Amino acid sequence: MERIHTILAIAAITFAIGAVGVIVRRNVIVVFMCIELMLNAVNLSFVAFSQSVGNLTGQVAVFFVMVVAAAEAAVGLAIFIALFRTARSVESTSATELRL
Amino acid sequence: MSVTIAILSVCMLISAVSVVAARSPIVSALALVGNLITVAAFYAAMNAHFLAAVQILVYAGAIVVLVLFVLMLLNVKGEAGKKSDFILRVGAAIIAGFFLLTVVPIWDGWLGLSNLSAPEGTVRAIGKLVYTDYVYCFEVASILILIAVVGAVTLGRRARIPNIASE
Repeated sequence: MERIHTILAIAAITFAIGAVGVIVRRNVIVVFMCIELMLNAVNLSFVAFSQSVGNLTGQVAVFFVMVVAAAEAAVGLAIFIALFRTARSVESTSATELRL
Repeated sequence: MSVTIAILSVCMLISAVSVVAARSPIVSALALVGNLITVAAFYAAMNAHFLAAVQILVYAGAIVVLVLFVLMLLNVKGEAGKKSDFILRVGAAIIAGFFLLTVVPIWDGWLGLSNLSAPEGTVRAIGKLVYTDYVYCFEVASILILIAVVGAVTLGRRARIPNIASE
C-alpha cells in the first residue's frame, strides 16, 4: 500500500460523505458546506494524481477549481440571503415558489 | 503508509463526518475549517506548497468566514426535530455506495500508480505554468470573478420592482 493509494481512498470516502450530506441535509447553508467538502475531495485527488504522474498541471487545475469555488461562494451566499428574505427560512423544503 | 498520513486521514474522516452530522450549522462550519486545514496539510505533505498556502488563505480564511458571517447574520437554528424522508436516506446510502466503489480499483492497485516525485509546487513553478500555458484560463477566471461580484451585488440588494409596481 503506497501513500498515494491511501490519499486517493480518503478523497473518495470524503466525496461520498459530502454527497450524503447534500442529499440528506435540508439547511441550504449546510448543503453548501457539503459541496465544498466534495470539491476539496476532488482537489485532493487532483494533487495526488499530479504527484503520481510527475507534472504540475493537476495543481494548476486545483488552482482554478479554487477560483470557481470562491465565485460560487459569493453568489451562493447572496442567494441564501435572498431566499431568507422571501421565505423567512433557509430550509430547502421552504423554497417552493416555483413548484406547480 | 507513514504515521503522518494515517493521522491526517483520521482527522479528515472525523471532520468530514461531523460537517454532515452536526446538528448546529455553526459546528458544521467549524468542522469544515478542520477539514480544509487537514487538506492543506495533505497538500504540504505532497510538496504542493503554493496550494497549501492558498487553501488556508482562500478556503479557511475567506470562504468559511463568509459562511459563518451569513449563518450569524441570519441567526440560523439547528434543523427541527423531524428527520428527512426514509427514501431520501436510502437513496443517499445507495449513491454513497456507488461512489465508494471507486475505492476498489485504488485498493487493488489497478491504476498502476506510483509515488513518482513531482516537481515541487512552489509559487514560481505554478506561476510559470499559469502565466504561460494556461494564460487564457487565467483571463477567463478573472472575468468569472467579475461576473460573480456583479451577481452577488445584484442578488444582495433589495428588489425595487414591487415599489415601482405600487407607485
